[in-house]
Amino acid sequence: MSTMKTTRDIKGVGVAIPRPDGPEKVTGRVQYVGDIKPKGLLHAKLLRSPHAHAKIVSIDTRAARALPGVRAVLTAADIPELKRKAPTRAHAVLAIDRVVFAGQPVAAVAADEPAIAEEALDLIEVEYQVLPAAVDPLESMQPGAPPVADAGTEADTSEALAHSAVAMAKSETPTKAVNVSQTSRVTRGDVAKGFAESDVVLEHTYRVPMVHQGYLEPHAVLAEWDSTGHLTLWASTQGSFNTRSEVADVLGIPENRIRVIPVECGGGFGGKIRALCEPITAVLAKVTGRPVRYVMTRREELEAGMPAPQVIIKLKTGVKRDGTLVAIDAETVIDSGAFSGAVLAVSAVFLGSMYKWPAFDLRGFEVLTHKPSVAAYRAPVAPQTIFAIESQMEQIARDLDLDPVEFRMRHLIQEGDQMVNGQPWQSNGAKQVLARIAEHPHWKSRKQWVAAGGNGKRRGVGLALGGWLGGLQPTGATVRLNPDGSLAVLTGQVDIAGTNIALAQIAASTYGVDTDLVRITTGDTDTAPVTGLSAGSKTIYTVGAAVLQAAEDARRQTFEIAAKELEASVHDLELVDGKVVVRGMPDKGITLAAIGKKGNLYMSKTPPVLGRANPAFSQQAPGFAAQLARLEVDPDTGEVTIHDFVVVQDVGKAINPIGVEGQMQGGAVQSLGMALTEGLQFDDTGRLTNPSLLDYRKLTAADLPSLETIIVEVPSPAGPFGARGVGEPPIVPAPAAIANALQDATGARLTELPLSPERIALAIARGAART
Amino acid sequence: MRRFELALPQSLDDCLKILAQHGGRARPVAGGTDLLPQMKNGVLKPALVVDLSGIARVRQIVNGTGLRIGAGVTARELEVSPAARGAYLAIAESAALVGSLQVRNLATIGGNLCNAAPSADMAPPLLALEAQMVVAGPRGERRVPIADFFTGVRKTVLAPDELLVELIVPPPGAHSGGQYLRHTPRRELDIAVVGVASQLTLADGRCTKARIALASVAPTPVRAVAAERSLEGQAVTPAAIERAATLAIEAANPISDQRGSAEFRRHLVRVLTRRTLATALQRAGA
Amino acid sequence: MAKQVLSCTVNGEPVEVLVQPYATLLDALREDLGLTGPKEGCGTGDCGACTVHVDGKVVASCLMLAMQARGRQVRTIEGLGTGDTLHPLQDAFVRHGVPQCGFCIPGVLMAAAALLEENPRPSEEEIRYGIAGNLCRCTGYTRMVTAISEAADTLASQGSAR
Repeated sequence: MSTMKTTRDIKGVGVAIPRPDGPEKVTGRVQYVGDIKPKGLLHAKLLRSPHAHAKIVSIDTRAARALPGVRAVLTAADIPELKRKAPTRAHAVLAIDRVVFAGQPVAAVAADEPAIAEEALDLIEVEYQVLPAAVDPLESMQPGAPPVADAGTEADTSEALAHSAVAMAKSETPTKAVNVSQTSRVTRGDVAKGFAESDVVLEHTYRVPMVHQGYLEPHAVLAEWDSTGHLTLWASTQGSFNTRSEVADVLGIPENRIRVIPVECGGGFGGKIRALCEPITAVLAKVTGRPVRYVMTRREELEAGMPAPQVIIKLKTGVKRDGTLVAIDAETVIDSGAFSGAVLAVSAVFLGSMYKWPAFDLRGFEVLTHKPSVAAYRAPVAPQTIFAIESQMEQIARDLDLDPVEFRMRHLIQEGDQMVNGQPWQSNGAKQVLARIAEHPHWKSRKQWVAAGGNGKRRGVGLALGGWLGGLQPTGATVRLNPDGSLAVLTGQVDIAGTNIALAQIAASTYGVDTDLVRITTGDTDTAPVTGLSAGSKTIYTVGAAVLQAAEDARRQTFEIAAKELEASVHDLELVDGKVVVRGMPDKGITLAAIGKKGNLYMSKTPPVLGRANPAFSQQAPGFAAQLARLEVDPDTGEVTIHDFVVVQDVGKAINPIGVEGQMQGGAVQSLGMALTEGLQFDDTGRLTNPSLLDYRKLTAADLPSLETIIVEVPSPAGPFGARGVGEPPIVPAPAAIANALQDATGARLTELPLSPERIALAIARGAART
Repeated sequence: MRRFELALPQSLDDCLKILAQHGGRARPVAGGTDLLPQMKNGVLKPALVVDLSGIARVRQIVNGTGLRIGAGVTARELEVSPAARGAYLAIAESAALVGSLQVRNLATIGGNLCNAAPSADMAPPLLALEAQMVVAGPRGERRVPIADFFTGVRKTVLAPDELLVELIVPPPGAHSGGQYLRHTPRRELDIAVVGVASQLTLADGRCTKARIALASVAPTPVRAVAAERSLEGQAVTPAAIERAATLAIEAANPISDQRGSAEFRRHLVRVLTRRTLATALQRAGA
Repeated sequence: MAKQVLSCTVNGEPVEVLVQPYATLLDALREDLGLTGPKEGCGTGDCGACTVHVDGKVVASCLMLAMQARGRQVRTIEGLGTGDTLHPLQDAFVRHGVPQCGFCIPGVLMAAAALLEENPRPSEEEIRYGIAGNLCRCTGYTRMVTAISEAADTLASQGSAR
C-alpha cells in the first residue's frame, strides 16, 4: 500500500525546488527580446544629445534619409502626439526644442542593419546652443540655477505609488526654487531643545552617487503593428500592464489596441518598471510598417538609462551620555535628474523611525538636475538612508563606548510603534534579525579576529541593519483544473528571479497537489488577468496571495463537484493523493482527473474548475535584513578584502528556500557594489565620465567571498503562508556594514560612497599625517 | 559599429602593401580588444580594417639571446609562457593583468602598445627591460627603443603605413629581478589606476642597474629616472627603497579623472614603487 | 559592401556562411547562424555575456571579427551539452538554482567549461578568477561557485569511472 499523501505533507511550500525553466536557461534556449527575429525586421538607433543642457536650433536629417537602407528618420516634429512639459521620461520621446540631459534622444532612425542606422545618425546635423547646466543638486536647488523642467511641469509621484511603499504626510507645494520638484517634512517635538539637552551631538553629511541597476540585458523592445491598427510590443519589462498603460498614455492609443508580451527579462531591479524606449520604437514601427527592434547599447544604458538617484543626507543626532536618543534632524536631497519621479518618503521613515527618536525634524527635497532621470533600484532610497542612519548609530555607540548591538536593540522599533508618518509599524522581525546576527560566531569573536591580523593589513568587523516596508499592488490570478488532474496557474507576473516556481508551490500547497502537477504561465496583457509589477518585494506577498486565493477557489469548486458526485457534504471531503475522498472512507472518492475530465466533456453538466482571485491589499509586511562583514584593508592602497559576509533576513516564510537565498545573495552583492566600487561619475558639464562596464565597476566573482545566508522566519499576518517580500531587504545594509567594518579596521569614518580604495587610502594617509 | 571593408592578408608583405596603398583610412586589427570598442563608440571610423591574424611571423615567442615576442602574441600566451615567466617575469605579470581572460585570449602585446593608452599594462615592464620594437614599413624594418615609441596619449612613432611586428627584450642578465604591480579597485576586469614596473640588477651587494617605469601617471608610460639614479651604485636598503619611491613621484605628472585623483595617483606611485623594488630586490637575489 | 565567406567549425560541425566584413563573431553566431545563446551585454568585452570558445579558449565574441574565426573551432553554449543531455556544469547550475534572469548564464557556463578543461580540480579561488570576466547581477556568484565545484567533482568521477 502506498503512503497516503495528505494536504499536510504534499511537496509544496517550504521545499527547495529548482525552477523548472532552469534547463532552458542553461542551454541558451530562452529567448530575450534581442533573440527574436521576425521577417522584415528593422533596427532602431537614437541620436542622443552630447550636451546636458542646450537649445536645439536646428536639425537637418536630409543626408540621413538619403542613405540607402534607412527606412525612417524621425525628430520631435514628426510626432504630433508629443507634448511640451513632459511629466515623465517616457513622455519625452524625442527632445522638442531643448535637451535637458546628455544622452537625451533627439532623433530616431530605423534601418535595415544596425550599422546603417549608426551611419545615419552620423549624418544627422543638429545645431545646439549650449546652455548652462545644473549638475550638482545642492547648487541646482538654489534660486537662480538653470531651470531643468519647463515652467508648469507637474511633479511625477507615480513612482512612489508604483512602489506603494509608504504613505507620507502630504508633500508641501514646491517652494520658489525652480528645480525643487517635491518636498516633504515631518516633525515631532522640539528638536532644538533636544539638541540643547543632548550630551553628544553628532553631525555628518552622507553622500551616495547615482548608481545603475546593472541588469545584464540592456533595455530592449520589439514593436509591430498589424493591419487593423493593433500594436504588439515584445518588451523586457518588469510589468507588462504598466508598460501598456504608459505607452498608451504617451502615444494616445487606447489600451485595448496594445498588446504587451513580456519576454524573458534579463534583469530589471527597478530599472525596467517605467517605459523608456517602447514609445519611440512603436512610432518607428508605425511609420515604416515593419517590425522594429531597439536594443540599447551598454553605453546608452549608463549614459541615459534610469539609474538610482544621487542622495545627500545631512544628518544631526543628539543623545544622552547613557545612549538615550533625544533628537534627530535631517535634510535629504534626492537628485532625480532631469525628470521628477523619485520616492521621497522612504528616507524619512527609516531615518526617523527605525529607532525611536522622541523628537525629529526630517525634510526631504527632490531636486531636478541636468542628468539622466532616475527610477527605482531595488529598495529605492533605502540603502542610501540606512548608510546614513546605521553609520551614525555605530558612531554614537563607539563615541559612548556602548555595545553597538545592545545600543541598537534598546531603541529598535517593534510592531505597533509609530513611524514618522503616524502609521504604526506592522509586524516585523527587525529585533529577531539583529539578535540572530549578534549571535553569529563572527560577531562574537570579532575582537580576536581583528587582533589576529598582521602582514601590514588592518582587520575590522562591522554590521548593519536595514529593511523595506513592503510593496502592495492589486493583482489577479486564475487556477484551472486540467482534464488529467493537473493544475494550470495563470498570472501576468514577469518571472525574473524564479518567482513562478514559488507561486506554483503556493498553488500546490493550497489546492493539495504536488508542485510538479502545477504548470504556471505568465500571460501577456491580452491573456492574463491584470497583474502588478515584478518590483517592490511584492510578487510573493501579493501575487502569491492572489494565487493562494485562486487555488482555494479552485479547491472549493473541485470539492463542490466531488460532493455532488459522491453525494456527500463538502465538509466531509478531503484531498488525498490526487483523489477527493470522504473522510474516513478512502474507497469512496473521485480523482481530480475525473473531475477535470467532466469539466471538458461534450454535453457534460459539470462546470470546468476555474479558480480566480483579484485581491487588493492594505497591510504591508516590512522585511528586515542584517549583514555582517569581516574584512581586511591594505592601508597603503586602500584595497579591501572581504573575508566573510553574512546575510540574516526575516523572510516570514521561505516558500522556496532556493529562490529566497538567491535573493539574499544577489541583493547583498549589489549592496556591496554600491558600498565599494559603483557610482556614475559626471563632470562639471553633466557628461558621464565612466560610461562602460570597465569603469562602472560591478563586483566580479574574484572580488567576493562565498556569502553565508541565514533565514529567519517571523510570519507576516497577511502574507501567503506568512511570507514577506524578500527582494529588497538584502540590498539595504551593506554600505553601512562595510563603513562600520572599515572604521573598526582603520579608525576612519567614511561618509561618501563608494568606499573606494582611493577614499580609504587617502583617509588613512591623512589620519596618519594628523597624528 | 559602422560598416567597413576587411582585408585578410596572409603575409607581412601583403599587409604592408595594403597599408601603403590605403594609408590613414586603414587600421590594422590584431586582438581587436582596444580597436573595436573605439570603433563601436565612434571614436574611430576606419574605411578599411586589416586583419593581422593571418600573419604567422607576428605570433611567435622565441627565447634565445633575449626574448623575441611577436606583436601578435596574446596577453594570455605571454602570461603562461615559460620563457616569459623565467627571466622576464614582470612582463608575464603585466600580461596576466590585462582585462579578463576572455580579453587576454584576444588582446595582443602589439595592440596593447600601439593603442598607446597611458594605462597600457605591458608598457612599464618593457620600458624597465629596455625592449626594442621592430617596426616594418614600405622602406624596410627599423628598430625603435620602447622609450622613444610613445609620443602622446594614443600616439606613437608609427606611420600609418607601418606595423609593429616584434619586440626584442634584451636578457636582464644574472642577479636581476623585476616585478610589475598595478592598482585597480577590482581584482579582474579593470584598468590600471597606476602601474609600476621595477627591475633591479645587483652585483656585490650593490645595485648596478635600476629601471622603474610607470603607467597611468602621464600622457605616456614613463621611466622614473631620478629614482633609478638614486639606487644605482647603492646598497638597496629599505631607506634607499623609500627614497627611490619618493623620487619616483617626480616622474609622475598625473591627471585627475574617473579612475583616480592626481593625489591618489602620486600616493600609489610611492606605494607601488616601494613594493616592486622590494620584490625586485628579492628576485634579483634569488 | 561584399560579404565574405566564413569557413570554420561551430559546435563540431563544419560551417560555411556569408558574413558581413564588419560582423563580429557574436553577430555571425546570432544573426547568421541562429545561435542566440551567446548574448551581448556590453559590446566592449567588459561583461562576458558573449563568451564562446575559439580553439578551446574563452574569448569575448563581441570583440572578435567573424572573419578572424576562419579555420578555427568555435564552441557556443548550444554545443556544451550533447543532444538532450545537459553537461554536468549545466546540470549543476539547474539543481543549485543558479539562473535567475539567466542573461549571463551562457557566458558563465562557457567560462566555467574552459576552466575545468584546463584545470579539472580548481580551488574556490581559481573558480572565482575563472569566471571573473563574467558579470552577473542576480546571483552574487555564491551558488555559481558551488555548482562549478560540484560539476568538477562529477566530471572527475566520470573520468575515473571510464
